[in-house]
Amino acid sequence: MISRHPSAVIGSGLVASGFLLWMAWPFSTPPPFPANLGNVEVVARLTEVPTGAVFERELYHYATILKYEVITCARGKVLPGDIIYVAHYDPWKPRAAAADAKAPGIGGDVRAFVAGDRHHLALAVPLDDHYMGGLVDKYFGRRPALAYWALRTDAD
Amino acid sequence: MTRGLVLCGWLTLLRAAEAAPSPEVGRLAAEVRPLGWVAFSARSPRGDWDIYAMRPDGTDVRNLTNAPETEDFYPLFSRDGRQLLYRAMPRGQTVSGNDYGRQGRPMLARANGAEAKPLGEDGALPWATWSPDGRQLLTLQPRGFAIVDLATKQVVRSFPRGGFYQQPTWSPDGRAVVGVSNGFDTGWSIARLELATQRANAVSVADCCTPDWSADGERVVFSRRRPHGGENGGYGWTELWQARPDGAEPQLVYAEAGRHLYGGHVSPDGRFVLFTGNLREDGDPAHQGAPMGLVRLADTPMIAEDADLRRAYPQAKSAPVLVLPAGHEPCWTAAEAPGLSR
Repeated sequence: MISRHPSAVIGSGLVASGFLLWMAWPFSTPPPFPANLGNVEVVARLTEVPTGAVFERELYHYATILKYEVITCARGKVLPGDIIYVAHYDPWKPRAAAADAKAPGIGGDVRAFVAGDRHHLALAVPLDDHYMGGLVDKYFGRRPALAYWALRTDAD
Repeated sequence: MTRGLVLCGWLTLLRAAEAAPSPEVGRLAAEVRPLGWVAFSARSPRGDWDIYAMRPDGTDVRNLTNAPETEDFYPLFSRDGRQLLYRAMPRGQTVSGNDYGRQGRPMLARANGAEAKPLGEDGALPWATWSPDGRQLLTLQPRGFAIVDLATKQVVRSFPRGGFYQQPTWSPDGRAVVGVSNGFDTGWSIARLELATQRANAVSVADCCTPDWSADGERVVFSRRRPHGGENGGYGWTELWQARPDGAEPQLVYAEAGRHLYGGHVSPDGRFVLFTGNLREDGDPAHQGAPMGLVRLADTPMIAEDADLRRAYPQAKSAPVLVLPAGHEPCWTAAEAPGLSR
């Protein structure tokens, strides 16, 4: 029989609670991006990847609009729980290989867009200031006019 | 020996028959020959791209820029046919089928290529298109449209671009612009923007590009990608279409199997349309390009006879197509200035 001193029980409880809290915490806050990287920085969940939104097309660069639910916001006027629409350039490419003369300065470590994944995003608005090109928008007519341009997309 | 000579004679005749235009094509060529000049970009014998001019039937071809140190492309006559705008970049760079309007630097010359001078540095005046009076240029860049006075180089007006992103063309009456927009459900839509109200409407939303106005401003011609089952490496092929500027009355102009039809340009008298014919998806700018062509608008809608196209367009006519030299982005003026000696 193992005797249980009340303080040991309390201590064990605190450790266990702390562990559970750590496990349950939404990955806290990732290291921030440089403050001048866009005007919005969030951790957000990619809610879906609509059919036909991402496809390989070597000769015609395009951006696709994807839908996110914001989890945390480090910069910008966005709140947890907000739904935002983000344009990703040439989304069939790993983010680290997507930048070119038409979309310089984009990047990240996400290799593919998978529904449910959480991304740490540096975003810029308005989209027109940052991107001139074909846009695949499966939410056309069903979303607010405001769309963000993804500068950096890291896995969270 | 005799039979061999006869066979050679027949082969020669057959080849001659293949090469000679049909009487219908000959009539079409005769109709258009006196109607001014067409500028286009093409590879010179030296291997660089230059701006050329030819009679609309493809004869009397002459090199307007003759600049072996640069790649010259995207020629645009002012509407009075006296000035020529084009872009130039160092030799060896490849013209991009989607970005040519902002590659290299803008050049201004007399219509015959004389007195060419740069209008700015690399990337200046992107997608510049002539005002009706030839005194201003409308440009398109990420921050929006800007109207630039040619004499002072000053921006006289700017406004948001609202999703327009390439190939703008200012209307003959100066009231609107058509271009490619990402604001209408497909990434490559043809749209019209009214300059006074900045209201935009879709002209066509089926993967379209290279729009241009008819001379009276009543129609817009554009290329349109037809629905496809994955042919041409998954890209399908583009056809030449026209519609009213509000998108009404869309109609096929001309389609071929196995060739893209881009760069539609209506003749100054509104009776004919020129186009670029691309055998490759990217227009083959790294090589020779493909023959341009010309059809009579009264003969449209028309197709080059093909079983699949006939099923898609049972009412389309089979009419003559005038095959022109290899080149890109033809631009037609009724003026005689391009043919004047320098």
